[in-house]
Amino acid sequence: MARRGGGAAPRSALCAPPSAWAQYRTLLAKDLRQEFRTKEMLVSMGIYALLVIVVFGVALSFANPGADFLEVSGGLLWALVVFTSLLGLNRSFSHETENGCLEGLLLAPLDRGVVFLAKATSNLVFLLIVEVIAVPLYWVFFSSFAAPAASAPLMAVPLLLGSVGIAGIGTLLSTITAATRGKDVMLALLFVPIVFPLLYACVSATTAAIAGGVLMEDAFATSLALAAGYDVIMLLASWVLYDFVVS
Amino acid sequence: MAREGRDVKLPEAGQWPDKAAPVALIVGAVLTTVGFLMAFLTVPPVGGAAVNGVELIGDAMVNQKMLLSQKIFYFHMPVAITSFVALAFGCYYSVRFLMTRARRFDTCARIALEIALLFVAMTMITGEMWTRFEWGVWWSWEPRLTTYLVLMLIVIAYFVLRGSVDEPERRATFSAVVAIIAFIDVPICFMITRLIPSSIHPVVLREGGMSPEMGLCVGLVALGMLCIAFALYRARFRQVRLTERVEALKEELGD
Amino acid sequence: MDPILADIYSTILPSAPYLIAAYALLWVALLVYVLIIARGTKKAEAQLMLLEEAVADQRAKGE
Repeated sequence: MARRGGGAAPRSALCAPPSAWAQYRTLLAKDLRQEFRTKEMLVSMGIYALLVIVVFGVALSFANPGADFLEVSGGLLWALVVFTSLLGLNRSFSHETENGCLEGLLLAPLDRGVVFLAKATSNLVFLLIVEVIAVPLYWVFFSSFAAPAASAPLMAVPLLLGSVGIAGIGTLLSTITAATRGKDVMLALLFVPIVFPLLYACVSATTAAIAGGVLMEDAFATSLALAAGYDVIMLLASWVLYDFVVS
Repeated sequence: MAREGRDVKLPEAGQWPDKAAPVALIVGAVLTTVGFLMAFLTVPPVGGAAVNGVELIGDAMVNQKMLLSQKIFYFHMPVAITSFVALAFGCYYSVRFLMTRARRFDTCARIALEIALLFVAMTMITGEMWTRFEWGVWWSWEPRLTTYLVLMLIVIAYFVLRGSVDEPERRATFSAVVAIIAFIDVPICFMITRLIPSSIHPVVLREGGMSPEMGLCVGLVALGMLCIAFALYRARFRQVRLTERVEALKEELGD
Repeated sequence: MDPILADIYSTILPSAPYLIAAYALLWVALLVYVLIIARGTKKAEAQLMLLEEAVADQRAKGE
């Protein structure tokens, strides 16, 4: 804690407190540095994603689907993202509480909103890194079933929007559940129903991108607009409510 | 409790709503009974498929099947409305709690969510019975069904969360936050499941408006159900307050 | 039975069990909640009784 405080010290020395932006950058840098030094969470999330792919492989091994696989693949991809992000969100707060980091953070005169934004951003970064690895891997493993439509690269947009929403609401919920008994189960219990609308919209957009054709014209834009709406509303709500959760 | 602001008026057992509660219960019972009788006796049945031929039943010539299962609707929709109103009250009390930090509002929010859970369960039961008969399946991912499933899961998660935090202050804060998020989440969920065109599954739409008689019947039952929910809320509130006060006394005597 | 009548009744009769079940379960759910309230009240009253006894004991000891 002291070392991290030291990073911002020259600027804040005695007089003006560091600006919100500086606080945000410091907090984010702290999270990222901590993670990239150990790579503990990224490695476990990556391996977990691979394992989920293996489970999907087993689940599909007797189905041997053809072109209709494209209609399912968006959903499966999101199942992968949800499970992996659940793991990551659980971890993201566990080492804060284990090392007593959270208390130190809260003792510092920081705006709680900044703490939330920094934490959400770091969660988003980790989630995106894992997705960048896991999504191509997913296609490598399942490319034998069916080739996606030409519009498939567009699924990066719903993946990004979904990850933003997951990181935002997930940060709030994982902060809540970090202080409860049986936190892993508790997080899943709260996270899955609350993120359901976003998941629904993102699966729709992803499937539209992968399958292309009529579905693409119909559903893609609407789904993305709704997912973006969810992101904005939930990020605002989490940002406001975070103040109460950590005090 | 001592540091609660004196200026905040706290709900307490025995205030005016408790005098209104028995009246509400009676009104609710009367209204739902009237609504029930109306649904079966005066509101014309909704016609179904045409029949090959005409038959005289009573004094009327009937040439189509009647959907008796539609009669579930007259209680299903009011119950759904009531559950959402209860959730809104839960959200309101949660906001009040976060503003005032008075434990009483947490109790109120908890009870409002209990009522919401009860009515959501009732909505699910009636909805399931209808779905089972009309569509021949126990479950279908139709927007309204999905929304209510999600709502039910969130409310259940709310109570599980309450059970897994020991510290009262923290439990109250966390559950207030979750209640507010739930209240925001549910309309979004309904919108999203509704607005996204799904060409994979058939979209089931049974709109077509309500006739004035149907509307009147639904309105009566909705009013009655709201009265019943209010009476239940007050009854539960009195009971919980009694328990809390006894606990507080016990603490004091134990010293 | 007249075949046309049978056809007309064909959606009414099979749906009756579900209809009755829906309404019955509705009231059962309400009843369960009322029972929960009643049980809570009973428990609180029992506790109150214990408290009263404890108070009486203390008073008897004090005198």
